[in-house]
Amino acid sequence: MNDNIWILTSADSIAIATTLILAALGALFTERSGVLNLGIEGVMLTSAISAFLAADASGSIWLGLIIGSIVGAIMAAIHAVLSVVFRANQIVAGLALVIFGTGLANFLGKPAEGKTVTTVILPLSFGPLSDIPVIGPIVFGQDIVTYFALFIAIVSSLFLFRTRPGLELRATGDDPATVDAQGLSVAYIRIRYTFIGGLLVGLGGSWLMLAQSAAWHQASTTNGLGWIALALVVFAGWRPNRIIFGAVLFGFTLQLPFTLQAEQITIIPSAFMQMLPYLATLIALIALSRPGGRNLLGAPKALGTPFVRDER
Amino acid sequence: MRLPIRVVFDQRGEAPKRLTALVPIVSVLAALFFGAIFLLATGYSPIDTYTNMFSDGFASSRGVTDTLALSTVLICTGIAAAFAFQMNIYNIGGEGQLYLGMIGGAWAGITLGDHLPSLIMVPLVLIFGALAGALWIFVPAFVRSRLGTSEIVSTLLLTYVASSLIDYVIYTPDSFFRNPNTSFPQGRLVSASAKLQSFGDTRLYPTIFVAIILAVVLYWVVKRTEFGYRINVIADSPKAAHYAGINAKRTTMSVMLISGALAGLGGAMLIVGPYGKIEPSIVNLGYGYAGIVIAALARNNLAAIVVSGILFAGLRVGGEKLQISTDTPIHIGVMLQGAILLFALGGEAFRRYKIRVVLVRAVTT
Repeated sequence: MNDNIWILTSADSIAIATTLILAALGALFTERSGVLNLGIEGVMLTSAISAFLAADASGSIWLGLIIGSIVGAIMAAIHAVLSVVFRANQIVAGLALVIFGTGLANFLGKPAEGKTVTTVILPLSFGPLSDIPVIGPIVFGQDIVTYFALFIAIVSSLFLFRTRPGLELRATGDDPATVDAQGLSVAYIRIRYTFIGGLLVGLGGSWLMLAQSAAWHQASTTNGLGWIALALVVFAGWRPNRIIFGAVLFGFTLQLPFTLQAEQITIIPSAFMQMLPYLATLIALIALSRPGGRNLLGAPKALGTPFVRDER
Repeated sequence: MRLPIRVVFDQRGEAPKRLTALVPIVSVLAALFFGAIFLLATGYSPIDTYTNMFSDGFASSRGVTDTLALSTVLICTGIAAAFAFQMNIYNIGGEGQLYLGMIGGAWAGITLGDHLPSLIMVPLVLIFGALAGALWIFVPAFVRSRLGTSEIVSTLLLTYVASSLIDYVIYTPDSFFRNPNTSFPQGRLVSASAKLQSFGDTRLYPTIFVAIILAVVLYWVVKRTEFGYRINVIADSPKAAHYAGINAKRTTMSVMLISGALAGLGGAMLIVGPYGKIEPSIVNLGYGYAGIVIAALARNNLAAIVVSGILFAGLRVGGEKLQISTDTPIHIGVMLQGAILLFALGGEAFRRYKIRVVLVRAVTT
């Protein structure tokens, strides 16, 4: 058996994990403020194609990432306006965003079909460190966005649990009435973090496009990673540091079928391997909602409910 | 930071009748207007695009029958979504339940078909499809009613599992559901007795009547029966339902199983109707997800779903033919679906609240 392929699998899992970390962090910020955005998949897809078109037109991969992230934030802003200002049903609004985003992305992607990005994001060079066997390609073989994603996840954890704005964000998701009584604007905080969340989700989608796929494959470009990111937030109990762990785990299970196929290990059909991460999440979800496990979950208490001040 | 203006939402006691009808119409128009700007900006003619879509979707005889044919399955997934949504249960896995309905229906159609007449066979395929759909939602329903596990996430996750399952039954070499006579992977045809005849040379099957009748019957069930009354009480106030001695666990379970069965039925209708076999491309069509949009546009009114289902089918049929008749990408149809729903959600606020914008003087501290 070839050892190299397992090193490659691990390196590839981390690559998938990068997208998942960014998208899940985006969803986490949104949900911590009390807004449930199920539209992540649509946001990611629209960002991905925008990043592609921007990078293709300008020749700059960085401009692609920036444009893609901004488009992600704009898409999330639609959700923020509907759910915070208009107090719409957030579940339906999120799904509408998926459908709208998928249609929009495929529409915009028409001229991109069959094209590839000319330049790609290259892994950072750590000199001799990258040549260390096994650890080299896994730890030191990633590009800057991957390290950035890890950095953001750690910073988010500190922000959320160690700073005042982080406390305000958590309070908005748990008990908006108290935040309102403090003289802070619940609506403004929710819109802000839904927007920031979209920025992160957009970056995840753009990076996936420019560093991983390199070619536009319509809806298969994101292939449900946006939905997995949502499951990952639940899996991680709305905690940024656990998202890193969960994302690597999910990344590995998503990558595994391809490796097994390449190694011609056919004991388990690949279709069943594809099901694994979803089934694993489902089992984790059920286990964590047992009466004893509920406090482990830590879902924001006001998640998905619009805030209406009692003005009488 | 606070803006110097405040938007005040005054809850209306009861929404005015004219707004109830007006909001969906205005949202469709607004979405079309938005789409027109978008088409103009990307260099297509909105008038040509819409005219073509309309004539292909609604105004030609081929268009009308194709639209009704597509609406058959969309009405099923629409009532599947609405039936659960009305109780604030968000079964968004209708897509996966639809796949399972195809698998269940195809199994019955292949296994039992040779021995039974059409009159028994077709209903049997439909029943097996419905059962398979209900089976697929069983675990989410069980854990939702017992542990309160979010059905949104669980039903969604199972859709991905179902999609892999479709791949498995079609692409595995010796699969029962795979056509053994072709090297190209495709579904095995069900027995002739498990298939219905379409009307004339159209693609429309009598299953459309089943879908419409179901929508009307379920509408009646919700409005007039004791079961429907329980659903309404739980939807309004789970607490009140608890004090009234309503078994919310059981009602939740039943509602979710029925919802799954309806989506599965939609899948089985594709077996007795146009496909006659498991069609792996179903995973790209999103009929289950479309059901959610249709339900939301009809504001979960089961009878109104017939109308919104046909409207959406028309948009899609018109959109799909667009690429053939003009050079406009077909995805404009999907985009418009999403846009209509987004506008409808925004418009819903105008129906529920009286909205005023007031100026607030800055408070100096």
